[in-house]
Amino acid sequence: MSAPPRPRPWPDRDSAPWWEAVRRHELLLQRCGHCGTPRFPPRAVCNRCRSRESGWVPAMGTGRVYSWIVNHHAFMPAMAAEVPFAVLMVRLDDADDLFMYGNLVAAGVADLVPGLPVEAVFADVLGDDGEGFTLVQWRPRRRTP
Amino acid sequence: MGSGHLRDRAAIAGVGYTPFSANSGVSTLTLAVDAILAALDDAGLTVGDVDALATHRVGDSTPPWVVAPALGVPEVTWYLDQFGGGSVSHSVVGQAAMAVAAGIATTVVCYRAVNARSEFRMGGTGRGPAPVFDVQYQAPYGLLAPSQQFAMYARAHMIAYGTTHEQFGHIAVNQRANAAKNDRALKREPITLDDYLASRWIAEPLRLLDCCLETDGACAVVVTSVERARHLPRPPVLISGAVWGGGDSFLSGTGTDFTVSEAARVAPRLYAMAGAGPADIDVAEIYDCFSYSVLVQLEDYGFCPKGEGGPYVASGATALGGTLPVNTHGGFLSEGYVHGLNHVAEAVSQLRGTAGDRQVPGAEVALSTAQPGYVLAGTSALILRADR
Repeated sequence: MSAPPRPRPWPDRDSAPWWEAVRRHELLLQRCGHCGTPRFPPRAVCNRCRSRESGWVPAMGTGRVYSWIVNHHAFMPAMAAEVPFAVLMVRLDDADDLFMYGNLVAAGVADLVPGLPVEAVFADVLGDDGEGFTLVQWRPRRRTP
Repeated sequence: MGSGHLRDRAAIAGVGYTPFSANSGVSTLTLAVDAILAALDDAGLTVGDVDALATHRVGDSTPPWVVAPALGVPEVTWYLDQFGGGSVSHSVVGQAAMAVAAGIATTVVCYRAVNARSEFRMGGTGRGPAPVFDVQYQAPYGLLAPSQQFAMYARAHMIAYGTTHEQFGHIAVNQRANAAKNDRALKREPITLDDYLASRWIAEPLRLLDCCLETDGACAVVVTSVERARHLPRPPVLISGAVWGGGDSFLSGTGTDFTVSEAARVAPRLYAMAGAGPADIDVAEIYDCFSYSVLVQLEDYGFCPKGEGGPYVASGATALGGTLPVNTHGGFLSEGYVHGLNHVAEAVSQLRGTAGDRQVPGAEVALSTAQPGYVLAGTSALILRADR
């Protein structure tokens, strides 16, 4: 049985290129073209130096679990069959103030510990509008550097 | 700008409620009208005295420019229709005080009217998510409801400081004990710590009894000048400090430690404006969408050191009879949830000395706070003082 459709993201004009890269299975960050600060989520203007110059650079693709929840209540009808499921808040190894969310894959909730090293994987899923899209998910890192 | 410029310039002269329920059976317009009329009656004023209205909403209520003509307000000189949920609740009262102090308005009715159970549940049924940019990075993972957001930060606090489930439970048990003394409260049956620990998980580490009661209802307060309030029937409650602001959110790319809420950022300004400190606060009505919201704010408003909110609530300090009674009405967990104004209204009752069986003896200074900034960046808070 295939997974039920997921609530799909609604990219904005700043984030569309990031979501398009995720669709190609590339995890990117913006980097300010003036001061070099990496940033996520995508925005047109650097909040450190106000520069509008920026480029896309590959993220390391690794991070550590900052916190997590185990969701038991079926808030979303589309995901009712998946409860209980974990949602992770991952601090990226690229910078202390960069966080991404995601579900835990290739492991169980019992494997979650604070600071667990994880790596990004890409999941092609069906959106609730019938179209496919791609999500960044997280699995325990196989080798800790 | 001197931070004391707004201190004691405006006062709360009246409070009003509709009944709280799971299904009001009426529109949010009717709720707003009923709460405002009750607040005006409490203040000894009429609709003809009103010249300004202020509210906040997230697409779930009726705006001032609909409520004013529905009430028959003769002329509106100022209104506020602020986007936002609980994080801005107290800023509505603060901005009303600002409008009065600036001479733009003389009588402002602040209201919040929601059918938050029967029509627009925050938990995701009956409406879409608020149109904020963060949602695209969360909803596809099944992360949408405020309880889930707060659970994430509650866990972070447990990781950093060893905060326990039982400590969250003390908050729920204490507030239910207070609600037992409040006729307006939706939940008045006492609960024990065992009841708490037996309640089902919503989003681990938060359980059902960590969560506020999604409520249909409205609350309103009347803000006017201190001089005018002194000529009205009720003892004035002075707005000594009013603050709103913030900076970081979990996706702002500027924060690194989410065990510290936005309350820590605004608290120094609030205390400076009011000329008071944590030791001066006799009673605190602290935004409790979830138990953790109380715990983190007790730390961030300076009632205990960072990380010691768990032991602090477990000590009994926040109970009636403790050193800092908290959420004397039962809060959102047990009285009902209309996004903050019922906390302000309870603080007013305490400072008037009319809180009945749950009265904090001799209460003169109260803190009342908004959602501490975890769902949308920013928070707001008030320090209120009896005019004695």
